[in-house]
Amino acid sequence: MPTMEIDGKKVSFEGKKMIMQVAQDNGIEIPAYCYHPGLSIVASCRICLGEIESPDPKDPTKLVRVPKLMPTCQTPAVDGMKVYTKSPKSRANQKAVMEFLLINHPLDCPVCDQAGECYLQDYSFKYGRGESRFEEDKAKNPKKDVGNHILLYADRCIMCTRCVRFTREVSGTSELAVFGRGHKEEIDIFPGKPVNNPLASNVIDLCPVGALLDKDFLFTQRVWFLKSSPSISPVSSQGENIYIHHNQGRIYRIKPRFNQGINKWWISDETRYGFEFVHAADRLRVPERLQFGSSTEISWDAAILHADEDLRGAVKAGGGLACILSPFDSTEEMFLQIKCVRSIDPQAWIAMTPVRIDGQDIVLKNPQTGAVTYTVKAEKAPNRKGAEKMMAHFGGNICTLGELHEKVKNKKVTAALLSSDPFPAAHVADYRQVLTGIQTLIRLGTRGGAVYERSTLSLPVCTWAEKSGVFENFEGRIQAFVQAIPPLDETRSAGSIFWELLGNNGPYDVRTVRGLMVAAGLNDYGNVAIPEGELKVEEMQFAAL
Amino acid sequence: MAFNGPILLKRIPDEASQRKLIRYDDYVASGGYKAYNQALAMKPEDIINVVKDSGLRGRGGAGFPCGVKWTFLPKDIFPRYLAVNYDESEPCTFKDRYLCEYDPHVLLEGIAIAGIANRISASYIFIRGEYHTQAKILEEALKEAYEKGIFGKAYPGTDIVHHCYVHRGAGAYICGEETGLLEALEGKRGWPRIKPPFPAVAGAFAKPTIINNVETLACLPYIVENGAAAFKAMGTPTSSGPKLMGVSGHVNKPGVYEEELGIPMGKLIEKYAGGVKGKYKAAFHGGISMGVLGTNQYDAPLDFDIGKAFGVLGLGTACVTVMNESTDMVKVARNCVRFYAHESCGQCTPCREGSAWAYKMLNRICDGRGKAKDLDLLLEIGLAQGIMPGTTICGLADGTNWVIKTILQKFPEEFKAKIKAESVQGVDVTVGGVKV
Repeated sequence: MPTMEIDGKKVSFEGKKMIMQVAQDNGIEIPAYCYHPGLSIVASCRICLGEIESPDPKDPTKLVRVPKLMPTCQTPAVDGMKVYTKSPKSRANQKAVMEFLLINHPLDCPVCDQAGECYLQDYSFKYGRGESRFEEDKAKNPKKDVGNHILLYADRCIMCTRCVRFTREVSGTSELAVFGRGHKEEIDIFPGKPVNNPLASNVIDLCPVGALLDKDFLFTQRVWFLKSSPSISPVSSQGENIYIHHNQGRIYRIKPRFNQGINKWWISDETRYGFEFVHAADRLRVPERLQFGSSTEISWDAAILHADEDLRGAVKAGGGLACILSPFDSTEEMFLQIKCVRSIDPQAWIAMTPVRIDGQDIVLKNPQTGAVTYTVKAEKAPNRKGAEKMMAHFGGNICTLGELHEKVKNKKVTAALLSSDPFPAAHVADYRQVLTGIQTLIRLGTRGGAVYERSTLSLPVCTWAEKSGVFENFEGRIQAFVQAIPPLDETRSAGSIFWELLGNNGPYDVRTVRGLMVAAGLNDYGNVAIPEGELKVEEMQFAAL
Repeated sequence: MAFNGPILLKRIPDEASQRKLIRYDDYVASGGYKAYNQALAMKPEDIINVVKDSGLRGRGGAGFPCGVKWTFLPKDIFPRYLAVNYDESEPCTFKDRYLCEYDPHVLLEGIAIAGIANRISASYIFIRGEYHTQAKILEEALKEAYEKGIFGKAYPGTDIVHHCYVHRGAGAYICGEETGLLEALEGKRGWPRIKPPFPAVAGAFAKPTIINNVETLACLPYIVENGAAAFKAMGTPTSSGPKLMGVSGHVNKPGVYEEELGIPMGKLIEKYAGGVKGKYKAAFHGGISMGVLGTNQYDAPLDFDIGKAFGVLGLGTACVTVMNESTDMVKVARNCVRFYAHESCGQCTPCREGSAWAYKMLNRICDGRGKAKDLDLLLEIGLAQGIMPGTTICGLADGTNWVIKTILQKFPEEFKAKIKAESVQGVDVTVGGVKV
């Protein structure tokens, strides 16, 4: 395997790679603004320059020093090469570039959302000179509204063009472009063509400084107060890997988590902004039971007792049970839910709530190469696959919602344990139909609505951000997510309710449940870790702005 | 050294009133397209060898050997393109315009010969946006050439048809940089490309492409007709052949003149341009990007070795702009840097920010608000830019670098004189650590 030396550290690499990639693979920091592993290389920020010694092609035992500084992002790594990014010459360039970038930068960090996660700040600290020698007037560029979610503070922009390349190479929509030239140039959109593509807000993450800002997050929280929890998208079957950024029980934003096989460095806007329901004002907070025609708040102990009694009572009275799974629950919860219902009525029918399909998959391509860069799945549920797997595992009486309707009509099914939330608006009518005539409806949900109004026992549950578990994406990848924030008020995770209904002692713990699942022959769940995504960088494309 | 009268300009009379556009028939009558016909009968590699042997170096500024450049084309990859650099946006430079304004066919013949030698499928003449009349003249000449079968015809023994197009630029200095030119040709923003890949491998439309200056191509008919030795007989061993030299500024008779390379600048000015008006002080010998020749460098020989010997970047376009003692060198520096700040494409940080910073600072110095520490900082900003230190993608920033560096180092007293008197009192004014 070829080896090279970067800043005195011996590293090995494989294949055609740039020095920057080799450094990043080995945890060596070389400063960079314009370089991004997911975008083409433009080598224009010039802070990554280093001194290079390459083996002489005529006599490979000798090293030849390249007389000028070379961009490490654009220079291929060669066996035996030595790179110095901390040499006096490289340091001088880093200092100069930092100074150049800051002369027209407003330095308004105290009011900038990026402060705390800003490369200008970090690199100023590490590579800058600490004081400005610029005594002239700064060039001032305007602030612009460039999309439904995006603001552009052009005065803070350092022209790395990552955002421009993203819209050209990944989203393939080319909304952003560079206008003007020299120190007066700006990033902008074309008139009447805002950045509203399905991946639009990734440009905010790509921006190394505070130029592109999220309207949703604007001025809501200083980033250093945020805590980050790894999670999985709760809204799409793609299984996008995300980080939930939260503080004091509140989610402030969603950021992408790298996973080469699924979402790479990006996430879709529906995932990014799909967490509002967690903090919806109409979240259910307390268990309620229909007593004497009106719903009454009851305690959890009473609620669990009633649920158990109601289900057993229905079976005793000669009726049957139904277990309706939600594709928004974790697989562990589904496992427990079915187990729970089948333990009371072994002939219980299992069904799943309908999955919302929004038209067709949106396939985004790089217009230059034609390569597919991202797919936004039409299927809007994170765990349909998990539900299907659990249903197949338990087998027995399995039906669709339509078939269930028949059974309810024929009084074969009189009670249901329903995890229903959120359910697609398009299917509300179906639901109503199915659930009309059911005598006992124990419903787990986060928010009210038509189904809630029909339930005899309403159990408020928490959202995905408030619990742990696994989701299985459309292709069956099992991915774990962890609890980010504490459950709202008295809400509990669906899993903990089933856990208690099953008569278990002790707290509900997903690892214990996974142990049970493995014991039941579901070996896939034996070793589920938080997936960090395999970091395998593809061969770079040079190219064309 | 033997130069017996003009070669490229042989059809253009010195006397302005006698100059007229040379059409196809006049051109052929005076021996035109003879070399083209000769080339048609030659093997492509023979033409390339003749050009290599002639020592013809690029006339656009960098002076890269033309024949060697041609051999960089990968074998057996077609189509190949030729981009003709007629952008000529270097300040002080007007040689290509003068040549093609009167004698467009010498360029077209050169393109046709280069086409034969390299089996070019399409030649794009990238003409500067501001050259309206010249573009029209060229288009008319091209029409004539098509009618006479110079273009639009397959090379003998092949099915490669050579087409030629005039592509007008939109008026940006950076589009004269070869890869910026290719981007502009493709209809994109004129941002120079990073190399590799080099244009010879993936140039215009990602196909192998040669980029040659107008004057370089215009030399080809003479070389093919008279052989490498005749061409090599002119000039110096490292810089062979004749060269168009535009003389402007404080001279009595500005204009474009042809001389062999290696002629001392003073001789050129006195022999052709009627001498300096007033007392010589400084000169840009090859466009502003090459830096300035000082007061004691009047007799610098204009050849490709001028750079090291006289503290300038290189020969450049060999278009001399003379400045006499009335010239304020600080204002010259400001004007040049203003140009670079305005024309910087904005891709690389040091050039984008540095040129504008230097311009603002020079403005302040010119306004009498300069400070003692400014000159060191100005030099530092200048030196931080360019492909020579490696901090930029293209050579535009080297222009900024060399203008600042050479003017500051060759005329430091003028800068000192401009700086506010009280800020200099008791303080040493230094340039790069050297006391002024």
